Amino acid sequence: MATIAKPRARPPEEAPRRPNIPSANIQLPAVRDYEQVDNEITATLHPTVTWFAGLGIAILCMLIGASAWTYQIYWGLGQAGYEPPVMWGVYIITFVFWIGIGHAGTLISAILYLFRAGFRTTIYRVSEAMTVFAVMTAGLFPIIHIGRPWKFFWLIPYPNWRLIWPQFKSPLVWDVFAISTYLTISTTFLYIGLIPDIAVLRDRETNPVRKRILSTLSLGWRNSDREWRHFARAYLFLAAFSTPLVLSVHSVVSFDFAMAVTPGWHTTIFPPYFVAGAIFSGFAMVWTIIIPLRRWWGLKHYVTLNHLDASAKMVLFTSLVVGSAYLSEFFIAWYSGLRSEQEYFWNRIFGQWWWAGWSLLICNMVFPQTLWSQRLRRNTTWLFILSIIINIGMWMERFTIVVPSLSHEFEPWQWGGYRPSWVDMSFLVGSFGWFFMWFLLFIKQLPVIAIAEVKEIIPPKLRATHPHEDNIDHAGRHLEYEPDTPGEYA
Amino acid sequence: MRGVLGIFPQLDAAVDAVEDLKHQRLGDVTVYTPTPRHELEHAIHAPASPVRRFTLIGGLLGATFGYWIAIWSSDYWPLVVGGKAIASWIPYTVFGFEMMVLIGGLSTVAGLFINARVPRLTAVVGYDRRFSHGDFGVYVEAAPNQIQAAEQLMRKHGAVEVRGER
Repeated sequence: MATIAKPRARPPEEAPRRPNIPSANIQLPAVRDYEQVDNEITATLHPTVTWFAGLGIAILCMLIGASAWTYQIYWGLGQAGYEPPVMWGVYIITFVFWIGIGHAGTLISAILYLFRAGFRTTIYRVSEAMTVFAVMTAGLFPIIHIGRPWKFFWLIPYPNWRLIWPQFKSPLVWDVFAISTYLTISTTFLYIGLIPDIAVLRDRETNPVRKRILSTLSLGWRNSDREWRHFARAYLFLAAFSTPLVLSVHSVVSFDFAMAVTPGWHTTIFPPYFVAGAIFSGFAMVWTIIIPLRRWWGLKHYVTLNHLDASAKMVLFTSLVVGSAYLSEFFIAWYSGLRSEQEYFWNRIFGQWWWAGWSLLICNMVFPQTLWSQRLRRNTTWLFILSIIINIGMWMERFTIVVPSLSHEFEPWQWGGYRPSWVDMSFLVGSFGWFFMWFLLFIKQLPVIAIAEVKEIIPPKLRATHPHEDNIDHAGRHLEYEPDTPGEYA
Repeated sequence: MRGVLGIFPQLDAAVDAVEDLKHQRLGDVTVYTPTPRHELEHAIHAPASPVRRFTLIGGLLGATFGYWIAIWSSDYWPLVVGGKAIASWIPYTVFGFEMMVLIGGLSTVAGLFINARVPRLTAVVGYDRRFSHGDFGVYVEAAPNQIQAAEQLMRKHGAVEVRGER
């Protein structure tokens, strides 16, 4: 006779530390009206001692890189640590790294816009600016790498009388098209989104020279319904174009490797693997930037813990994707039966490059697992530390892709080593200086949080509840939103 | 054309004024708002933006140009590899795609500028710096004999300031 098990008494449910909020429903309960938005965001434009100190450090780092470049131009490309068979090193690694950093910007500004993810609103401007400056930084490295930077235009595939015929089947030519398109569209997207905010600055400005400059930059924007109507449509289409673009650019960068018949490179998994890694590292860089900014500027009620929590879930997800790609690579190498592939991966974990292989696995797969914990997802100190760890891990990932493959190809005479020179490392330092110099200059000239978009989610002043606005009460507060709780903006 | 500008601190007041102005057919209405609000869009009843046509045409032209430049260059300066096509559409899709995005994106911006009538380099009537800050503006182009009616209507709906513009 069948017996029916007694239902077990349910354990008392532990109250969650914080309700789990859908990312599309993130609101800004501490931002009450449009005036507050204008006042608080424009207040970030005043230079401070900390900002000057940061800018000074960035310029110093940039000058270190510029000095190294001068030295290399004088003495030749041999000053970089290249030695056959490894003829791609820090320059290409850092190029891929910065391209990857740029990707999260477009993801946040375009893809999350199309998906109506609310948590993007207050972090997308930082991300977009980061994209533009990261691509500007990345674009330097192929030019540095060619050794004779004044001949960079030879990269552009136009018919010429130099006996260099355009090779449109080369991934390096694809790169030129992809990256120049990406830089153009990202810059356009950033600027178009800035126009209404520049108009806000223009209308508040009292200095006549600055007012004239801002008037020109704002293109005479008046906030009319005609302008907004076309703006919204144009912004949507730019986002729609940017979405496949962001996926294509890092895919094309991955083709630089995947199209070559080199162990570890010649694999179809590279495009999605590169795109996921780019988003992963880009989000980490957004944290590296936004977490100090929200603290220094007192903008914790704009970039709330809910925003960081939502972005942490994206980082965890992309970490899992990247981790799956790492493990798939090992499996494919074993399953393929190709000795050269198997030796490459053995070399990467137990051989010559074990330190690089393990550091990327630990940084990119192990540490991000802490984000399963809600407590850690809402701990800004941990997120900041984790962002540094992830970016180190992602640079090491690119190192592990570039160097071990080239240093251990099919035949023993193709085996060698690589040690970056001081010139290489100076360029790496200089790239960070170049990036942060532009970024720091940007944040003191233009609003780093999108004023007009934040106003979209702030309740407008009303005489009475409007039938179209049923989630707003007479006091202009969102009715559906949960009340503030202690620790919301920590 | 002469007109009347009303400044409203509250969104619903501006919406009511627009609906009433439309109902009474006092003239073409322009609304100024610090951020896009769907209530105002509903009240204005504006047609769909034609920016999408610029996007479509630009995208198609860009894709065509991307394929064409790669195929034409390959045929004109052929790099002959035994057994391989001189022009191959699979790798050239990269150029078709990138040019589609580039030209399509820039055409979209051109569409925005043309339709929104920016850049606007001259001073214009019917704008107040409060419109980028927090207030809503309603401007109606009215015939001289309807100016007074328009002013009264704006005040009735709660405009804190009403002024004639020309």
